Amino acid sequence: MSFREKSAWISFVLLLLLTGAFVVSHHFHPHDAQGHDLINPATLFFGILLVFVLLQIVLHVVVAMQSPADARTPKDERERFIELRAARIGFYTLVVGELTSMALFHLHGRAFFLMSSILLAIFIAWLVKLGTEIVLYRRGA
Amino acid sequence: MGSAPIDNNIRRLRFEHGEMTQQALAEQVGVTRQTINAIELGKYSPSLEVAFRIAAAFNVPLEQVFQYRKGTAPNE
Repeated sequence: MSFREKSAWISFVLLLLLTGAFVVSHHFHPHDAQGHDLINPATLFFGILLVFVLLQIVLHVVVAMQSPADARTPKDERERFIELRAARIGFYTLVVGELTSMALFHLHGRAFFLMSSILLAIFIAWLVKLGTEIVLYRRGA
Repeated sequence: MGSAPIDNNIRRLRFEHGEMTQQALAEQVGVTRQTINAIELGKYSPSLEVAFRIAAAFNVPLEQVFQYRKGTAPNE
């Protein structure tokens, strides 16, 4: 497995966990008996985001240390082709997600809901991009 | 991308060049080993530039490395 494929797997799994944490922190965040938030959902989310970034860096460094020559090699034409193809599919997903967010905003009318759904659409689009990259790497094309 | 309508003799040429490894060929051509493997298996059609570089690595004309399968419909 090439460094780029390992990188795609790391990012995919971590982003999946981040998306899960994002959804959970929005719906099941800790609150007291009166229903007041014990932790601000935004603070909780940015804390999780920080852990995500740190894990990304640490895991990529570990993988790069296992095969330094592979990690140093610039992307070749096939890898760029895979990235472009995946980005195109991810872009369409993002457009659909953002349009859905706007439509839902008209129904709910809450700015916080709009912000959350836009962020979720970005995560899903990025997951689709990374997932497509993994599929294309696995297929060899 | 699927199976490309282009056949190649890379495996045979590597064998004839002292069992050259995919990694060694990849380093000469300037691509990853996985890309050489994908080209060899017909899963990826390289650019003209990479095709010429592969031919140059074996010191043979391009048509000795790649052959177009005639009668194949476009985008097949």
